[in-house]
Amino acid sequence: MSKRKRPEPKSSSSGINEDEKNILGLIRSKQGMGATTYEMRTATKIQPTLITRAVASLKKSSLIKEVPNMNNKGIKHFLAVEFQPCKELTGGDWYIDGALDVSKIEGLKEICVRILERLKSKVVTLDVIYSYFEKASSDGDKLSREQTREILKNLVLDNVVMEVKSNGLTDFSATRIGEICYKLTGKKSGGGEARDGAFALVPCGACPHIGLCTPDGVISPTTCVYFQKWLDF
Amino acid sequence: MTTTEFGIVYAVHIITSHFGSVASKVCECLLRRGPLSSREISRLAESDINHTKVKDILYLLIQHNCVQAFSIEPPDGSESKATVQYIALFSNILHRARYNKFSKVVNEELGSQCSGVLDGLLSNGRLTLEQLIDRDRDSKKQMGSEAIRDSLQKLVAARFVERVPSPEPVLGNKDEGPAQKKRGAKASKIFKEPESLDERILEAATPVDAIRFPFIFEQGSSSTVADDDSNISEGKRKQPEVDYTSGPSNEVIWRPNFEELIRRLRHKACVEMVKERRDEGCANVMKAMLEVGRSQEKKAKTDKSVQMSMGSIYEELIKTDAGREMTQERVEACLEQLSATSSYLPAFVIESDGSYIVDFKSIISVAQKDEMESVVMRRYGKEAFRMFRYLSQEDRFVETDKIADAALTEKKDTPQILLKMWKDGYLHMQKLAVTGVYMPFLLWKVNKLVVSRQMLDEMYHASLNLSLRLTHETDSEKELLLLPMEKLEGALKERRNKYRAKSVLLTSARFKLDDAIMLFHDF
Repeated sequence: MSKRKRPEPKSSSSGINEDEKNILGLIRSKQGMGATTYEMRTATKIQPTLITRAVASLKKSSLIKEVPNMNNKGIKHFLAVEFQPCKELTGGDWYIDGALDVSKIEGLKEICVRILERLKSKVVTLDVIYSYFEKASSDGDKLSREQTREILKNLVLDNVVMEVKSNGLTDFSATRIGEICYKLTGKKSGGGEARDGAFALVPCGACPHIGLCTPDGVISPTTCVYFQKWLDF
Repeated sequence: MTTTEFGIVYAVHIITSHFGSVASKVCECLLRRGPLSSREISRLAESDINHTKVKDILYLLIQHNCVQAFSIEPPDGSESKATVQYIALFSNILHRARYNKFSKVVNEELGSQCSGVLDGLLSNGRLTLEQLIDRDRDSKKQMGSEAIRDSLQKLVAARFVERVPSPEPVLGNKDEGPAQKKRGAKASKIFKEPESLDERILEAATPVDAIRFPFIFEQGSSSTVADDDSNISEGKRKQPEVDYTSGPSNEVIWRPNFEELIRRLRHKACVEMVKERRDEGCANVMKAMLEVGRSQEKKAKTDKSVQMSMGSIYEELIKTDAGREMTQERVEACLEQLSATSSYLPAFVIESDGSYIVDFKSIISVAQKDEMESVVMRRYGKEAFRMFRYLSQEDRFVETDKIADAALTEKKDTPQILLKMWKDGYLHMQKLAVTGVYMPFLLWKVNKLVVSRQMLDEMYHASLNLSLRLTHETDSEKELLLLPMEKLEGALKERRNKYRAKSVLLTSARFKLDDAIMLFHDF
């Protein structure tokens, strides 16, 4: 006669003890922000060693996950597995595994520049550029309107793109008065480019040691390696 | 703005190059310590220079417009005599490095004969008409006395040349009595920044316009609006020991009017900026506007021009070939463009009820911003550039993480980049302690005045370095330079060509850097 197998324990929640239940409840209530061990101690009044044991058990049962706080690396947050970590923990939309996704950002900026180049004779609003990303074939290339605006703002800070307010006349007749439109700066747009500063073009302008340089010192214009390189043509 | 450390070092270097080390010690003493009497200079100058020598050097520096004498009226009732003191004219010392720019301005406006006369005044500091004619007689290319007189008249009419200022103006006591402090309601609203001592001295020394730029310039003894007490300034005058205002035959002494020359360079820079940031048409309109308003500018560093109508602008514009090609409609479109504000460019012109005003401050601020941002980009990199631009736009203190979010930079790298800029004086930093938070928050801000001053000091430093390097390169090839060029061959010829190329690079870099220095100091 074959022995009947003991039935497998049901879903983990029914197999957890009282402490684990309370802690899990607290963590779930915090949703995307999760809870720290300090918050667990304060809210549940459970002893620290028991909290540590409970958290380890919940993690093992795949009920919770550990997420580092990018803004405060020393503190760990525990989230219920069904929740995604919020921006405050991850550092923002542009962070992946705790690091800024520089190549993705640069790639998106490049796409925006190409769109503006193609449409340089037209008035380009945020909606025009957003529509390109909205229709992107893969989810990874899609951007929200707010994310598109962030990328454009970054290009403005790079001085590659400028914001121009519509006055509702001539080229801007199809746009609302006051609506922000985008244009490339520089030669590609046909003018308006900022000049290269005269000071930046001499070695001293770029020199990180200018504060240490003196006419007769160890670092001086006669001994300076940057000058030597500049004059070595 | 008080003079920065490398401003003083650079000015001393210019004086050393032109007048020798003893003159530079006297000058340095004045630049570092402020107004001093000749006895005090003799006592305080770096190496002992006897009193007679100090006086000779002061006369030399006065002749070349680098120093101004003055005295302060003793308090009422006091029996003490006013002591003559001297101040170094920092701006005029720096002008010595840009005489060729002044010459070019005059050459373009009035022709080569006038610029030849100006060159004489620039190299000699100050001369009478007779001295100018004598100088011309000794030169290879003589102009003739008629041409000299004619050119001088044109230069005075255009205000490129002025009568020398009062040699020893007397300043009134600074304290005003209580009765004089009563002001009307309107007067209390007009706030005038207190004048510095330098400004008071120069104002007291400067004669009224009619005397400064005599309109009637007759032949013989009247070309010679003789210089006497009643003519010069409204302020008090003291009879100097040596009379510097008139020459041997009581002729007027003339000197370059740096204020007007700098004004022209400022206008040129504004037109250039408009051409770069807008277009040729707008630049032509700007040029016309500057011409219309120029004669009414009270000082070279004025913030705004006078109001002018579209009609007066167009009238001036059509005097030039380029302007004649522009219709009134096109001019109106340019004025609209110049009056437009965007987040990228501020308005360069203010429109008000059909009148237009040039906003100099706005145009100059754009040029200054370009210089600052270029340095930040080259020295600290692209990410620092974004952060600097973000903070400049915000114009308030912002916390580190917020800067990282706005500039899309790695949060862990952002503090280091900000700290580098802060250490070099390009950012302001404040710590904000918050209860319960272990580490204080760091807040950052761009303070434009502080950054301008820091950059100006570095530019003086760079200009000094370029000059010293050129001297070093020349000294290194001293012997080679003695050989005639046509006799050189092979490696020597190549070395000589290389020296020439280096010399051109260093000189042209210093020339362009000087434009940036004027942008922050003179414009």
